[in-house]
Amino acid sequence: MIPAAFEYVRAGSAEEAIGLIGEHGEDAKFLAGGHSLLPLMKLRLAQPTVLVDIGRVTDLSYIRDGGDHIAIGALTRHMDIENSQLLRADVPLLAHAASHVGDPQVRHRGTIGGSLAHADPASDLPATTLALGATYVAQGPNGTRQIAAGDFYQGFLTSSLEPDEMLTEIRVPKMNGAGWSFQKFNRRAQDWAIVGVAAWRRNGDSGVALVNMGSTPVLASSVSTALAGGASIEDAAQQAAAEADPQADLNASIEYRTHLAKVLVKRALTEASN
Amino acid sequence: MSVGSSSIRIDAHAKTTGEAQYPGDRAPAHALAARVVFTDQPHARLLRLDVAKAEQMPGVIAVFTGRDVPVNEYGLTEFDQPVFVSIEHTGRTKVESDISRWEADHLALVVADTDEQATAAAAMIEADWAQLPIVADIDQALAPNASLVHPELKLDSNIYHTYKIRKGSIDAAWADAAVIIETTYELPYQEHAYLQPEAAVSYIDEEGRVTLEVAGQWAHEDQEQIAHALDLPVDQVRVIYPAIGGAFGGREDMSLQIVLGLAALRLAERGEHRPIASRWSREESIVGHHKRHRGRIHAKWGADSNGKLVAVQSEAWLDAGAYNYTTNKVLGNCHLGQAGPYEVPNAQIDSHAVYTNSVPGGAFRGFGGPQAAFAAESQMNKLAEALGIDPVEIRLRNAVHDGSIGITQTVMPAGVTMLQVIERCASESQFHQPLTPAEPFSPFASLPPVEGDLLRGRGFACSFKNVGFSFGFPERCEATIVLHGKPDSPTAERGELFHAGADVGQGAHTAFLQMAAEATGLAFENMTGGFSDTSSSGDSGSASASRLTFMSGNSILGAAEAADKAWRNGDRPAVGHFRYVPPPTEALDPETGAGAPNFSYGYVAQTVELTVDRATGHIVVDRVVSTHDVGRAINPANVIGQIEGAVVQAHGYALSERLQVENGRVLNPRFSTYLIPGIGDVPTRIESVVLELADPNGPWGARGMAEMPFMTYAPAVVAALHDATGVWFDSFPLTPDRVTAVLAQAAAPSSSGR
Repeated sequence: MIPAAFEYVRAGSAEEAIGLIGEHGEDAKFLAGGHSLLPLMKLRLAQPTVLVDIGRVTDLSYIRDGGDHIAIGALTRHMDIENSQLLRADVPLLAHAASHVGDPQVRHRGTIGGSLAHADPASDLPATTLALGATYVAQGPNGTRQIAAGDFYQGFLTSSLEPDEMLTEIRVPKMNGAGWSFQKFNRRAQDWAIVGVAAWRRNGDSGVALVNMGSTPVLASSVSTALAGGASIEDAAQQAAAEADPQADLNASIEYRTHLAKVLVKRALTEASN
Repeated sequence: MSVGSSSIRIDAHAKTTGEAQYPGDRAPAHALAARVVFTDQPHARLLRLDVAKAEQMPGVIAVFTGRDVPVNEYGLTEFDQPVFVSIEHTGRTKVESDISRWEADHLALVVADTDEQATAAAAMIEADWAQLPIVADIDQALAPNASLVHPELKLDSNIYHTYKIRKGSIDAAWADAAVIIETTYELPYQEHAYLQPEAAVSYIDEEGRVTLEVAGQWAHEDQEQIAHALDLPVDQVRVIYPAIGGAFGGREDMSLQIVLGLAALRLAERGEHRPIASRWSREESIVGHHKRHRGRIHAKWGADSNGKLVAVQSEAWLDAGAYNYTTNKVLGNCHLGQAGPYEVPNAQIDSHAVYTNSVPGGAFRGFGGPQAAFAAESQMNKLAEALGIDPVEIRLRNAVHDGSIGITQTVMPAGVTMLQVIERCASESQFHQPLTPAEPFSPFASLPPVEGDLLRGRGFACSFKNVGFSFGFPERCEATIVLHGKPDSPTAERGELFHAGADVGQGAHTAFLQMAAEATGLAFENMTGGFSDTSSSGDSGSASASRLTFMSGNSILGAAEAADKAWRNGDRPAVGHFRYVPPPTEALDPETGAGAPNFSYGYVAQTVELTVDRATGHIVVDRVVSTHDVGRAINPANVIGQIEGAVVQAHGYALSERLQVENGRVLNPRFSTYLIPGIGDVPTRIESVVLELADPNGPWGARGMAEMPFMTYAPAVVAALHDATGVWFDSFPLTPDRVTAVLAQAAAPSSSGR
């Protein structure tokens, strides 16, 4: 439970961080809150040779009104998202989901950018931002680009970020009064979700995404399609796992995860419709 | 009055501030580091072992293997396990030492300047193995032509120990039964999950003794086992327990004691005198020590139309794993418990210990009792349902009382209070009042209440558990009290108590000092202790079997009386020593099970109220009323602490802890996949109800109570779940996937719950 040896450098700005990553090549990793990467390093499932600490790039910690969206700096901590009046008013689903990440210690240290860039399908915020149709902003040596959340997640712990790119901002569309629900089922309080569901619904539109139902966060498009076509919540929820590819692990079987997805999607849609 | 007051624990300050020294904190900076190498072979014969490359690695002081062990065997009740699996041996063991029967059998001990060096060298050990058939579980062990785990015993199957009970005639009795309930129950493993993984420091002390600072439960028994393997006189071995981070039965057997003692002995012969330290990781701890036995009980119970039991037929199999550890004793306790705390006129009970190549089963809070109680109490609850009799009422009609003939055909030890405990539990928990409707629940606040999916239920169970060793095993406990004061004073100013009893975290040493203060008339503050060192204390027996308060209290009473006599004779200081021997117990008749196996019992009853989300299978236990006759609460706060702790531990056993063992290997030796309850998962309310109905032989009337709150929890939860859903669960833990699967199966046409 002790990581392999690594070199540690600290960046003062996004530009400096990107420069340092470019300098050290593919074996370097950004270190933000350290609540995803460090556990992997302790288990030696990740062995970066250089850590570029971006934890003090404080100008990337912000929550701003961007007109039709809320812009969130990548180094904003979960606790700040949970307590943001702006997010509670305009993107309440995200603020609420952030309040269910890990435990208070995790939420005081972990950052939204770190959680998304880590691309763990069992994390709460990747699926939540996916359901909300968020756009991520990445900065590299040649400037910035925008990546739709739906294009970001490529595989287990794999995103479309280039090795020398850094996630700098998350733009989440305002929900404009949509009903919403976040359902997280775990076997032990404060643990990872066995299955989670983030959902919103407004008139004929909806967004439903699943936590821990595949190698990436999963957008349950079939559910939204069914609802748009006039299906009942009960019937739409039966499509919950249509896009999913759940894995069995020591905590749950494929069958149980699939069952849970249907139960939780039904509950989420019911709550979002009230 | 010291006895009966909730004195602040003497270890509270040090443990709160972090100053308390556990074995892992005892290694001085210059200590050598040792790593135990497991064989990683559930069943294989060692063909070649080469440690030459490991010995050449940087920093390596020595690599010890079986060739270095004078008597390469050990075991708490039988010497059936090699210290190291080894081709070379001295010919002084009955067990074949070249076979690994368990993945965590030890192969070598690497000693180096640093832990990193020892770890690197351990990876250089070369071993060739011939694979042997792995006997993975009870079914495989009992299959015709099964491979034998211990062929040297020359038995015709892997069953190596069987207890019987033959009382009356069950065949004639079934005709009197209005209802017969027959069920097979599957009982799961449980990991002790004590906070402090195994750790030890060894050295040769100033008097030349091989000395171990380690966490255990019986210092003098550790001392004997170390001395046996090292072929030393017992007094050439010294065992010291510093602070102990939990035990629960999991430290009754050896982990690092013998191998680190061996290293100290052998290195000293070479002139190397640095202390040697080692500690296991959590993974090594979970893989490397025994578990609560998994097992199976097939029970058939009959009762007449009034609910009176007419016959009990029961057969149990416990998976002993690769070595006996304390299985034969655990099995005996499981054997006695299968008829419950009831008067049973006719009984036929057979209980078997079965060798497999899985992790050994051994001592764990309740010692075979919880498995038996799960079957017995589930049977009683099913009889009550079938007969339409209230679950409390049917128990009152059957429970043992003073003068009852027990299942072993002898009169129960006096002070039987089962009826009082059942009645008090029922009244305290308002068992016969209607349950309030389900409230929105969830420790996971993201789960909203869902009308119709939340069901509530309430269940009841009762049990008993022996205090002290059973079946004629020699039982004793020693104490020494030294009184200091002025030569001409009629009373002492202060006293010292020397006692070997282990404080495993339960507060035993505080209770010892309270009892010593009470017995000598000194203030609690004026009584100090010297504890858990074989060089300064006599044998106390173990911190197990709910015996330590009972036994130590009686030893302290005797020592105080002796010290007082010495004081009045003018001795300064006045020294009193006493060795308490309780009423004798008997081994059971091998064919009928007749005999008097125990001298005292503690009694428990519990009511459990729960809410289940039938769509996800998630269960929240809303309320537990845990009712106990403890005889006398020496320290009421610590008694309640024991009750709450045991309930939480049993909550994990009943609901979430699922040790996955396949083909002899533990698959989930981590707390991320072996799920012990957190603070958000434990019962919402635990109400401890403490009765003080004196045991005739107990010190100040005290009975043991440490295991009792564990006994009844799983069957009470299952009864509450049945009350909520109408479905019986005959196996657990009640993980949400199991709950939904069993409910779905029960809802399907023409099937019954399981």
